[in-house]
Amino acid sequence: MSAETHYDVIIAGAGIVGASVAWHLAASGARVAVIDAIGPAAAASGASDGAVSVASKKPGPLARLASASLLYTRELASQGVLAGAFHARPSFVFGQGEAELAALDALVAKLRAISGPVHVTGDGPAAQLACLGPGVERLITLNGEGHMPGHKAVRAYLSAPGITPIWPAPIHGFDIDDRGVTVHLADRRLRTGHLVSALGTATTELFPTLPIMPRAGQLFVTDRGAPGLLPGSLTAAAYLVAKTEAPDVLPLPPVVIDPLTTGQFLIGSSRENHADPNRVDFSTLRRLMERSVRALPLLAERRVIRAFAGIRAAVSDSLPIIGNLPGETRVTLATGFEGDGICLSALVGREIARMVHGLPPTDSIAADLATLSPARFVDARQEAWG
Amino acid sequence: MSDPVLVVGAGLAGLSAAAELARAGLPVLVVDQAQAVGGAFHRQPLQGALSLATAAQDRRWSDLMAKVAAQGSRITLALATQFGGVDHKGTALLTGRMNRLFRPRAIVLALGARESVRPRPGWTLPGVETAGSLQIRLKTLGEAPQGRVLLAGSGPLLLAVGAQLTKLGSPPVAILEAGRPFARPLTPIGLPRDYWIEAAAYLSRLMLARVPILTNTRLTAIRAEGGTLVAEASSGRRFIVDHVALHDGIRPNDFGMPACDVLPVVRLGDCREALGARAAMVDGQMGGAALAARLLGRTAPSADPELARQTRAQARLARIYAHDVTAELNNLPEDTVICRCEARTLKDLRTLGPTPTARQLRLDGRFAMGACQGRFCGDWIARLTSAETSKPGIGAPRWPARPIAVADLLSATDETEGETQ
Repeated sequence: MSAETHYDVIIAGAGIVGASVAWHLAASGARVAVIDAIGPAAAASGASDGAVSVASKKPGPLARLASASLLYTRELASQGVLAGAFHARPSFVFGQGEAELAALDALVAKLRAISGPVHVTGDGPAAQLACLGPGVERLITLNGEGHMPGHKAVRAYLSAPGITPIWPAPIHGFDIDDRGVTVHLADRRLRTGHLVSALGTATTELFPTLPIMPRAGQLFVTDRGAPGLLPGSLTAAAYLVAKTEAPDVLPLPPVVIDPLTTGQFLIGSSRENHADPNRVDFSTLRRLMERSVRALPLLAERRVIRAFAGIRAAVSDSLPIIGNLPGETRVTLATGFEGDGICLSALVGREIARMVHGLPPTDSIAADLATLSPARFVDARQEAWG
Repeated sequence: MSDPVLVVGAGLAGLSAAAELARAGLPVLVVDQAQAVGGAFHRQPLQGALSLATAAQDRRWSDLMAKVAAQGSRITLALATQFGGVDHKGTALLTGRMNRLFRPRAIVLALGARESVRPRPGWTLPGVETAGSLQIRLKTLGEAPQGRVLLAGSGPLLLAVGAQLTKLGSPPVAILEAGRPFARPLTPIGLPRDYWIEAAAYLSRLMLARVPILTNTRLTAIRAEGGTLVAEASSGRRFIVDHVALHDGIRPNDFGMPACDVLPVVRLGDCREALGARAAMVDGQMGGAALAARLLGRTAPSADPELARQTRAQARLARIYAHDVTAELNNLPEDTVICRCEARTLKDLRTLGPTPTARQLRLDGRFAMGACQGRFCGDWIARLTSAETSKPGIGAPRWPARPIAVADLLSATDETEGETQ
């Protein structure tokens, strides 16, 4: 066996969460390596629409953490860390029919309760935006959210000095001893004082007992057109409901229309329980497009050039898993974001870096963060690395 | 009536397959994006236009059309109709004149070959096109474009298009052939007799019109200058022309082809392996009969030895035209456009480092992100980056199979509704 290379911290997974953790640790002077089976932003981060959205988060701890992360993301952007990756833009949530209008009421109440960085600046008929069609009965305009494509954030974070990228390199396993952790790759072993696992759906390869499952969302990309027709993402209120309830109770499909800087639109998404990024179908495409065109009629002039399924990591209780492995201070988990990783990544990176250094979490969010600890899955402690 | 077998492409392979499938008793729906049948090789001229086909070609085509006609209503033909792809449930989308979502019993992809064009400075300028698309225009319209034409690249198609331009009274300024097809006089001896007859016909027409055929000569760059195109050859010669038609060989249509687990999807003809017109007809027949046998639970027919003969002939032809493409790629200037749809250059590619992942190529580099999804540039990107970059990641499977107008998707008749999934 060749000599083992030593890093202060090894981060498994080069998605947006792993990249943020790596940046925060490197910024504090640690020597870190980021290992990925494929490469940067190769899974959910690269397939994301990039919405830094508080509105879509579950009320309670997640919405409050998202709110804090949005503020911190803006701070990182203004310091130049996320330059070119994050930009502020308005966002729009629309509804049609009783269930969705009720969901919009709940949204307004949720944002008022957080009293955070996202403000309702408009609430009324579709006329607030000239491009909207008859499928919009009520429109809420939000100010304060932003856009951060996952691959751009990953690239920005990983360009910092002190980070060694290692890919493509699947992790075959790891051992913990008194002095550190040994990470096994196909052709060599790496030593580290601390392992952070930010592996998304692949988490269960190293921690088979965690209740994480893949949840696919079909996404469709149009051709280019004049940019700026829609100033921010347009989300159906059904999407907010889909995140908290069973999707089959929804009368209308939960569509999100995201305008890209290229003048293209990214339209999603379904929620399906499988892990095949190539599994897309005409009936879903048509269902989403029917609703999208009623909301944004100019889409009828476009062509769909590409489709794929983004594979998110979902947890049985629909909350991310963030924190040290129970009883094991050398291994920290950050996974199960199910699409919320874009928004939460900045904050999670900062807090995981604190955990690695043995510091307590930031006061203002400590209680909310504690609810996401892997300790809530007691069985995971027993068999995690069996 | 049971679900039809969908045949995409009404050329030699597609119609040969359709005739065999129908002969076995299966209903067949043949669709083609063009307004007329014939595919690339037998593209039929518009009403009243001069036909470029030889007597032998006309005979072959009318024989095939008679076989198709003999099947009567078992074969339905839908022209000006595009195949949008098939999804994992087996639903296929057709757009255009026939606009429907339905579940065929099987799918035959007989889309013909992909024409390959090597990137070079100026290859995306207006006035520059592929020799294959120029040829389809010649066959359809029966007239040559206005102005001077230069043909460049490599392969026998350049001679065919040159001869056809000459026949239409507008011989090309020159043909630049990167290979040295006449330098090894013994190699062509093994070619079948009909290849010789065809080549002799093209060459004699070109020689009578004194068209220079410059072998071992590459077209290195094209510039737009004062309403004309200036083309620079590796020999140092410059040509001032109005049109440049490029061609660097043909490849099978293996890029991002749809795959589906719930029904048979087969590729036939040049779409499966680029072996030319003679082989396409045989492959269509054999493949059609084999698919019919598979669907009906019968014994598969034995292989036709003609296909092996054509495979050997094409391999020989490839040796005759062989030349070093790697050297040409290594000498490309940094600002050469590689991805036409998104206007990404060689420099943009180099910025991604020596071993970009497929995701980095797409998301960071924006390669293969446009309307063609890598169909034109995928091969070149794979060659220009490290071998570690997996080619399939660039664009396979491509879904939908082609850009789909949202309006067409919404107006399609949905024949799958109510069916169990």
